[in-house]
Amino acid sequence: MPLQVLLPLVVVGIGAIAMALHLLGLSKPRRFADTDQAIQAWLREAPQSSARDAVLSTDNQAALIALSDGFGLVWCFGADTVARPLGDATYHNTPDALIIRFSDMGAPQAKVNLSDQDREIWHNTLGIS
Amino acid sequence: MMQHLSYPDVVSYAVPLFIAAIALELAWIVIKGRGGRYETRDAVTSLIMGAGNVASGIVLGFIAWGFFMLLWRITPLDLGNSWWIVALCFVLDDLRYYWVHRFGHRIRWVWASHVNHHSSQHYNLTTALRQTWTGTFTFMMVVRAPLILLGFHPAMVLFVGGLNLIYQFWIHTEAIGKLPRWFEAVMNTPSHHRVHHGRNARYLDCNYAGVFIVWDKMFGTFVPEQDEEKVDFGLVHNLGTFNPLRVAFHEWAGIFKDMSQPGLSLRERLMYALAPPGWSHDSSRQTSDQIKQEHLRDHPEDRGAAGFN
Ligand SMILES: [Zn+2]
Ligand SMILES: [Zn+2]
Repeated sequence: MPLQVLLPLVVVGIGAIAMALHLLGLSKPRRFADTDQAIQAWLREAPQSSARDAVLSTDNQAALIALSDGFGLVWCFGADTVARPLGDATYHNTPDALIIRFSDMGAPQAKVNLSDQDREIWHNTLGIS
Repeated sequence: MMQHLSYPDVVSYAVPLFIAAIALELAWIVIKGRGGRYETRDAVTSLIMGAGNVASGIVLGFIAWGFFMLLWRITPLDLGNSWWIVALCFVLDDLRYYWVHRFGHRIRWVWASHVNHHSSQHYNLTTALRQTWTGTFTFMMVVRAPLILLGFHPAMVLFVGGLNLIYQFWIHTEAIGKLPRWFEAVMNTPSHHRVHHGRNARYLDCNYAGVFIVWDKMFGTFVPEQDEEKVDFGLVHNLGTFNPLRVAFHEWAGIFKDMSQPGLSLRERLMYALAPPGWSHDSSRQTSDQIKQEHLRDHPEDRGAAGFN
């Protein structure tokens, strides 16, 4: 097939599918209903770990997971969730969020939306200032 | 000897079919309220990966093609282009696909390319198009060498490879349950390939088939979909990015990072590229075999069950 036909077909095709999905409400971000759901999402990624407790972000889209040996982060990603231990993570504050960066090209960072009150809880739990 | 055999570029002709089928699957899911899931950014990433795969073929395809034509000049054999030779080529190329795909899961260097096909937590027709950009760098074109040396023309080999890829498109769906028994027994199906995309311990490293599931049954890698264990789609460690560049290259970056860390022996450096995914010099990670063993420690009742042999 000539490129002059294939290229527009691909661009229009992708655009049309993206538009249809968005209009059907399929871009809606996922949220955790409660800490239990966040812990379940963590255990899906790390079934062997002991998740003792969870602290939700202000928008329920991320949770700090307390483990027997440190902390982990589980966060909503599209319609699903992703989880990573916080061992080598670095923290950066913005006015409304805590940005957590990982040295992982497949999961470079997570944005945790926090009110001032919640930020204090997260900072105290993680021992950051 | 034939030098100018040509076949249509079937994959690009199938693009309108792909788009129509995605629209149909989406409509089915929305109307019926079952049969799969779609999410906008996930689907767009998959589609961009598919487009990039075609683009990388246009840019880098000459490398494999040059290699194949070199072999074609060397070989004294020429099987011609009768229809049954094309059919035989299709079957043997599917065997070739089985082994390339198996290497793709058991050798990290090849996995670095193939991982992106498994990097969605969704399983719908767009997932089928989430294809690699870096296949050329795996050198897996050498697995096609025997076919060409046996006398199958390179153009024919690429043609049947394209048909193989098109066949695999429609099996990436949750909208189709199980098909008639005779079909499930011989062909790769949505059910068999769902299992292949699973991150459950039971479903890791099985069902490598392209078109014919019989290869998995022959080589002992077949695991049927279990009614009592739903497939959890995606990677053991799922990606946290929709960025196509990160999806395409993250595992290559991981290999180079692991290989270049200080204090490793030469053997350890090579193992980071050639051992199965999840291998590490300090046992800080797990391979699929170790994940299965760990599962059996917690669930001894599963020993000997499907996927735990
Ligand atoms: Zn695979
Ligand atoms: Zn697949």
